[in-house]
Formats: sequence, structure tokens, C-alpha cells
Amino acid sequence: MSSAAVEVNGLVKRYGDRVAVNGVNLSILEGEIFGLLGPNGAGKTTTISILATLLIPDNGEITICGYKLQQEAKRVKPLIGLVPQELALYPTLSAWDNLAFFGRIYGLQGANLKERITTVLALVGLSDRASDIVQTFSGGMKRRLNIAAGLIHQPRILFLDEPTVGVDPQSRNFIFEHVERMNQEGMTIIYTTHYMEEAERLCDRVAIMDQGRVLALDTTKGLIDMLGGGIIYLVLSQSSPESLLPDVRAQSHVRMAVEEEGRLKIETTNARRALLEVIQLCNARNVSILSLEMREPNLESVFLHLTGKRLRD
Amino acid sequence: MLKQILAMTWKDLKVFSKDRGGLVLIFAQPFMFILIMSYALSGVFRSGDRPIQILAANQDKGTQAASILRQLGELEGFAVETTWEGQTLTRQRAEQLIVAGKRNLALIFPPDFSEVLEQGLATAERRTTKIQLIVDPTTSSQFVEPILGTLQGLLERTAYTAMIPKGVDYLFNSLAPQTPAPERENLRAKAEKAISGGRTPAVTVEQSAPAGMRVNKSPDVFQQNVPGYTIYGIFWIVSLLAVSVLREKREGTFRRLLAAPMGRTVMLAGKLMPYYLINLVQITIMLGVSSLLFKMSLGHSPAGLVIVSLAAAATATGLGVLVAALARTEAQIGGLTVLLLLSLSAIGGCFVPRFIMPSWLRIAGLVTPHAWALDAYQDLLVRGYNFAEVLPKVGVLGAFAVAFFGIGVWRFRFE
Repeated sequence: MSSAAVEVNGLVKRYGDRVAVNGVNLSILEGEIFGLLGPNGAGKTTTISILATLLIPDNGEITICGYKLQQEAKRVKPLIGLVPQELALYPTLSAWDNLAFFGRIYGLQGANLKERITTVLALVGLSDRASDIVQTFSGGMKRRLNIAAGLIHQPRILFLDEPTVGVDPQSRNFIFEHVERMNQEGMTIIYTTHYMEEAERLCDRVAIMDQGRVLALDTTKGLIDMLGGGIIYLVLSQSSPESLLPDVRAQSHVRMAVEEEGRLKIETTNARRALLEVIQLCNARNVSILSLEMREPNLESVFLHLTGKRLRD
Repeated sequence: MLKQILAMTWKDLKVFSKDRGGLVLIFAQPFMFILIMSYALSGVFRSGDRPIQILAANQDKGTQAASILRQLGELEGFAVETTWEGQTLTRQRAEQLIVAGKRNLALIFPPDFSEVLEQGLATAERRTTKIQLIVDPTTSSQFVEPILGTLQGLLERTAYTAMIPKGVDYLFNSLAPQTPAPERENLRAKAEKAISGGRTPAVTVEQSAPAGMRVNKSPDVFQQNVPGYTIYGIFWIVSLLAVSVLREKREGTFRRLLAAPMGRTVMLAGKLMPYYLINLVQITIMLGVSSLLFKMSLGHSPAGLVIVSLAAAATATGLGVLVAALARTEAQIGGLTVLLLLSLSAIGGCFVPRFIMPSWLRIAGLVTPHAWALDAYQDLLVRGYNFAEVLPKVGVLGAFAVAFFGIGVWRFRFE
């Protein structure tokens, strides 16, 4: 990982009055798996569609592998591969025919085309189903073939747009292994998802997006560390928990405390120790704890912290 | 670029070959129409309640032609027009009106019509003459035959009315009382023979085409229906092409193609080409099978058939691109194509010959590519036109194709 494979500055895309992407800046390094994490409608697919030359941005500058996207799209296109969110395949054709078609579109032919089809079919574990019609495949097999079609021309950068939607856990793991293997072979992968587990497992760095903006961008660890030791939610017997807030904030393992929808929300540097401190405080004040929720820090809680809503809202 | 177009063409042909519904729509449906409609309507190319309009150029110096025209006009179901826009019709003007498609029948009475009809039985050299019935070659024989029969009947009645008094005079003058019996018998036989038609009729009706139109034979029901339903059939490619584009968009393959190193025009050309080829195969099968099975004449100009077919197919696929650009759902495509194709086919004369339509509808038909394609095919199949003579209509079809494709590309939503 060294030079930037993708540089995005001030990217804006509007659909009428709605701003789908609002001033996004990204710098994606060569050879990394970069995640775009956010709920549906966050602007991930629009961003990836612009980077894959499908959409024309209203504003902003994009450089891919050193080429200005808007001016040199013809040079960029052979370098990128796209695996759309949909199963972008011809269901009445065989797996081989599908790959042969997409290969020809990228200028492959003859022995080279056959060799590439054989290679990618083996890579996604579909060699024995090459001549079968795609509509007879299971959902997971179709997803794998969908990825194979994006790899047929050996792109340097692969855009994977929610590649595990509707996939069973076994096929999902299979896809993860492929993604990791391709990355180990040097491919830069830009991966959009609204599953934080996927981003945590696969991505070197993650940009959290919501409402067209990048809210945070860092390594998974860096993002989680934003929250320190986790968040505690308490519902107290006391009708106005605000009076307790100054003392809660004064505890040594509490970073911040606020009243939120009748609950105390406590961000900590160490959740377990902070919980002990707060319980002792409540006992001392004779305040009963009616319910307690402790969230270990993860990308979901980071997203919640940043937006006030859950990823799957 | 060409390789990408060929790759898309080959892929779409493969997809199409597995689409049974599409195959039935494109190949079986028009054939079914040709068979059913041709057999069902084989004797029915009538004008319904509207009178048959006949142009008449009366060059007769006597009164007999005018008498026949008056009687013809008084018959139910016939309307005789001896003037056009206030001017007496001439043969040349009548032929022009038929070539222009305004009427499809004209009667031309010769100058000596009355003179020939009224000639005495004693005339040493019996003279004959002909009435010309000029017919647009696309007019069904089932339509023309009753007119010929009616005309023949009127002619015979007029002929007897004009000739019998002169015959009776002739008999009185010939049969003097002192004539011996054998000679009397001989004269009676001569008169009977003369009146009963044993001699060549003095006036006959000859059917012909307007000057410049060559005809190898009268059009049959298949020559009417095969081009009509072939054109109707090729335009169903609009539905297949538009649905194919919509599916590519819906299923994401369109996004994959947009990300590929391929221009948008190349992409549309690649999408259009397979359906253009399917159209050409469709036309070849329709005309070829009709020629083999129904012995339908294909005219004198294979090159003309090729150029008209190329232009008609381009128009149909161009309309497909336009519908693909405008429709957003399969339901919209279904509704739009059914409405468009049935309306255009009907107005364009694919189901009912345009010559029996009211004049405003005949004019309205000219806004459809179907009418121009059908006219061009009938010029070749029925009227015997050559390659050069159909080029103007090919040009109009080409203009339709360019307009449809141009607007389609302009309105096409790639995003």
C-alpha cells in the first residue's frame, strides 16, 4: 500500500433537489480494501457509480490510477471492474456464455478469453457448472458468478457494491475468502455494505457515510477507538436524571454523559469500570436502575454515535 | 468497436433464441394472421356500405356512353365521377388520380363508342371498339369482378336497345313476301345469329393498369395480406427490443456495460443490431414461405425487395429504441406497443387495404411508416416497379428510421 489508487475531492451529485452525494473526499490507497459503510440511501452506490463511470458528477474531481476520470474515462474503464448490487447476468445463458460475452466486451478473444474464463470460474468455484444455465443456479452461486464477471478482464480496482445481499452464510464466507485472496494478489477493492460485520472483517479502512456525506474515515480500529470503551444506557427510577449528570460526568472512566429520550447515555473509556462507578453513585443517591444496556464499541455503535440512528434504520 | 457490437449482437441473438414467447410473437403471430385473415377474407374485399367510386372519362361523340354512365350511377353501390375538381375528366387525369391513390378504378369510353354501337346489321365491315377499365393493380380481383359483370350487363342492354330496331328494319326489308321459303329460312337464321351474339360483340371491356404501371397478374389475397401482416409483424420487434433494454437496466447488466470501455452509441448500436437482423430474417421467412406455399409472386426486382426490407426493418428497430427511451416499466412498454402498433398498422393499411378507407383516413395513413412500407412492397410485388422506382418510398422510411432513432438516443436515459 503506498500511492493513491483513487482520489476524490469535493464530489457532489444531485437528483433534482435531492443531494445524493454532498462534498465527499476520499483517498483510497493501492492494494487496500476500502469500505463504504452506511445505511440504504447514504450515497454509497451513487459514489461507487460515479467512480465506475456510470454517473456523471455535478461537481468534484476524481483521479483513478493517475487518470482524471472526467477527461480520461476511456483509459480508466479497462482498469476498473464493477460488481453491481444486482445480479448483473443473463439468466438464460450459461455461466461460460455470460463470461465470454463480458470478456469480449473488454476486448478479450480466442485462447486468452478461454483461459480467463477458466481462471475466474475456478476462482469462484464454478468450474463444474460452466455450461449450466444461470437461472438454474442458487442465489450464492449467482453472486459468485456476478463477481467472476467483474474479474474477467483482470481489473486493478474492483468495485463491489453490496455483494452479499441475499446470500446465505456459507456463500457469504466464500465471497469474503475470494475478496481477501484477490486483495492479497494486489487488487484494490472498494466495498460498499450496510453490514458493519463485513466492514470490520474485510476492510483496512472504512468511510462511514450518511445522507451523502462522509462522517468519519479511518481504520476500523481507529473508528471504534473514537468511542473509547463503549456506551452505557441507563433508565433510572428518578424522573429527572439530569440532576445526576454532573456527578456521573465526574466519574474517572466516564468520558461524556447526556440525557437522551429519558435515558442516561454514558460514553466511557472503559465500559465495565464506568458501570461499577455509576452503580455505586446510584446506590449512594438511592436511585434505582430500572434497565441497563451496555454496548461494546463496534462500527454499529460508532454509526449510532455519529448519526443518532442505527445502520439498518 | 465492431467486435463489441458483434459480441452484443451474438449475445442478444442467443438470449432471443431461448425466448419462446418472443419467437412466437415475431414469427408465428404474423403468419397466423396471414393464414386466418387471408382464408377468412378471401372473397371479401368489399367496400361495405360505401359506394364503389368509379372515375369516367367520356370521349364518346354520341349519347350511348353517357346513357351507360347514367344507368351505372343510378345502380345502388356505384358512384360515377365524370369530373374532378370542376373539370371534365380525361384519360390522362384519371390515370394520374389512380397512380396518386385517390381512386382505384376508371372507365374510358372511346370516341366511336356510340357510332359502333349503333351500326346497322347490314354493314359490310362490322366495326368493334373497347371500353378501357383502368384498375390500380393492388385492387383485389374480388373487388373488380362484380364491376366488370355489372358493366357487361349494362353494355349488352344498351347494345340491344341500340341495335334491335335496326335489325328488325333489316329483316323487314330483306323478307319480301315473294321470297321463297328456303331463302326466308336462311335470312331468319342470319338474323338470329346476329342478335344472339354469334358474331363478335361490337363493344368489349378491356381491363388495364395506368400508364407506367406493369402488372404480371391480378393481385391475390396473399399479395394483399402477406406484405401487410409482415409489416405488422416486424414492428413487434419494438416490444422485444424495448423489453430487452429495460431488463438490462433492471437486472444491472446495463450498469456493467456502461462501466465497460465502450461508447454509448456503440452500446445502443450493439443493442439494436440483433433485432435488426431478426427483422430481416422475419421478412425473408414471411416472403419466402408465402412465395413457396401460396405461389405468391415476388415481383421483378429482388434488389428492390432487399432495399425496402432493409429500410422497413431500420424503421421498426428505430421505433424500438424510441419506445425503450420513453417507457419506464414493462407495463408501459406493453401498453405503448399495443396502442402504437395496432393503431399504426390499422391506419397504415396492414389489416384493411387503404384504398377502401375514407379519404381523410387514407391521408392520415401517410403519417405511419407502415403505409409507406406497404406501398413500397406492393409497388414491387403487385405493380411490378423496379429498384429505382421504390427509392422515394425507401427514402421516406429512412427518414422515419433516422427520426425514431435520433429522438430515441436523445431521450435515452443511460443513468
